[in-house]
Amino acid sequence: MVDEVKVAEKTEKLESLRKIDDNLRLPSVPERIAFPKEIGVSAARMQTPAVGQRATRPDGRMHGLGQTKYIDDMFFPGMIHAKIKRAGIAHAKIKSIDVSEAEKMPGVMATLIGSEIPVNSFGPSLQDQPLLADDVVRHAGDGVAAVAAVTEQQALDALDKIKIEYEELPNVFDPVEAMKENAYKIHNNESNVYATKTIMKGDVEKGFADSNFIFERTFTTQMVEHVPMEPHASIGQWDANGRVTLHSSLGRITLGRADIARTLELPINRVRVIATIVGGNFGGKNEITTEPIIALLSKKTGRPVKCVFTREDEFISSTTRHPFVMEYKTGMSKEGKIMARKVRLICDGGAYCSWSETTLGKACILSAGPYNIENLHVDAYAVYTTKTMTGAMRGFGAPQVCFAYESHMDDMAAELGIEPLEIRLQNAFNEGSASPTGQVLEAVVVRDSLEMATERFGWKEWQR
Amino acid sequence: MTDIALIVNGENKTVSVPPETTLLKMLRENLNYTGSKLGCDVGDCGACTVLVDGLAVNACLILAAQAEGKEVLTIEGLSTLEKYHPIQKAFEDVAALQCGFCGPGMIMATKALIDQDQDLTKQEIKDALSGNLCRCTGYTKIIEGVVDAYQEITGKKIPATKPRVA
Repeated sequence: MVDEVKVAEKTEKLESLRKIDDNLRLPSVPERIAFPKEIGVSAARMQTPAVGQRATRPDGRMHGLGQTKYIDDMFFPGMIHAKIKRAGIAHAKIKSIDVSEAEKMPGVMATLIGSEIPVNSFGPSLQDQPLLADDVVRHAGDGVAAVAAVTEQQALDALDKIKIEYEELPNVFDPVEAMKENAYKIHNNESNVYATKTIMKGDVEKGFADSNFIFERTFTTQMVEHVPMEPHASIGQWDANGRVTLHSSLGRITLGRADIARTLELPINRVRVIATIVGGNFGGKNEITTEPIIALLSKKTGRPVKCVFTREDEFISSTTRHPFVMEYKTGMSKEGKIMARKVRLICDGGAYCSWSETTLGKACILSAGPYNIENLHVDAYAVYTTKTMTGAMRGFGAPQVCFAYESHMDDMAAELGIEPLEIRLQNAFNEGSASPTGQVLEAVVVRDSLEMATERFGWKEWQR
Repeated sequence: MTDIALIVNGENKTVSVPPETTLLKMLRENLNYTGSKLGCDVGDCGACTVLVDGLAVNACLILAAQAEGKEVLTIEGLSTLEKYHPIQKAFEDVAALQCGFCGPGMIMATKALIDQDQDLTKQEIKDALSGNLCRCTGYTKIIEGVVDAYQEITGKKIPATKPRVA
């Protein structure tokens, strides 16, 4: 009798289990890949000669069919999701980080803080940036802790449970203020200036003395975010042989690989970086971001770990274009010839160096513009501030100075009553001109380009 | 868990997902249609555009449960095994896609526009695609692609706009 009851119960249980199972059943048939398998090559790809013809891209078809696999489109068995906690405070000393509450949250498999990372610093030129801040937070987007959980939502929920105590430090937001001797030293260096460049050519003071007019003006540009359509994304797997495989949206994989190996204290041959199609880089994906963090989370959990930046992460923690403060002083002859120019560039590097040094060099070389200037003096400084760090972005410092020297040129043309095109033609590089750093230029077409461009878009008509 | 029955790309599907799951997440993670992309998750970029009952919607902004009983078309359902879709062909031919991340959304928005069967001008195309952002192309080639596809599908002509010279 008793046994019968037990059997009946068991059947009932099994039946209800089956029912639930049926409800939970996911479609077992994979999606149909619906496109013809043998599409002819696009006519545009077959044209000869290629010059002057419409061009297509070899990967354009895959993109259009939605078949391109970006990092976020890849799933590995057992994969879990990581999210990064952002400081939300510009400059502070971290007194304590408590992740115990977060670890108790449903679905959470591991957490990571800065002190657990073997070498907690990276950067393409100066290794001054922590992967996760463990001592001092230097900008609001600094990561302070990471959580890996079964779903993205669980990871995000767990971030709220991380308790961090801060002791606020003075903020330094203005690069000009940051350069002053009494400014708070963000990296405990002697000065917040961490890179300088100088170009000197001819004798500027004599050039100014020979000039009929002197023009001075300060130009500033703002911070610009790359906003790639695809946020930074990577998937890390730490295998039993102690090797790390990273699928990443990184643009410079060899450089990134060296940086990852350094931070994880692994020989470089233990790190494999697999790059896929990148959904927009523009310079913002030129250095590592979370790769070592997810590698370590994978080591802790034994699972593949995916981390995709939220759009907020993208804005507050990834690199941006450098804001510049550009002081221009130019001496002009009556006829509109540039006699001498003095430039002072202050590059607001944000909290960490990133690519600021190289950007500064490029800005410095190009700051005189495509003009023959006998007497030139350029001083350039890259400065730490407690803002989102700045790094590579298309043009690498060139667009900022171009805005300055061309605006300056227009100002002077207006002041002297010379036509803007005329003043440019008068000073533009010719064949064999030397650049500010002494490079002799060949195949110089700046005059032809200017003339042709003004003709094509009706500059003369517009002037009337 | 919420059970959802819907039609995706012409096939009946039943999916069981947590109630907070968006349509985009369900399409990408449960049904493996990864063509629709997650760009911003707040409905600004349009990379997740899919058609729900013929209307272009941001799949990141509606819940999977709201698509119950509806017909969803994603980029994967546009071409058939026999025929390459004219919009996708036009986009390929004019090289409208560079990194391609905005592509599936752009193409689905274009499909919704052309399906309305109205006479279009270039400006109307621009307006209709204003919910889809692209960072690579500067939009010129995308608009060209849409114009080509529109002319191919409807047989109508869009007058070429004259370059503005004063």
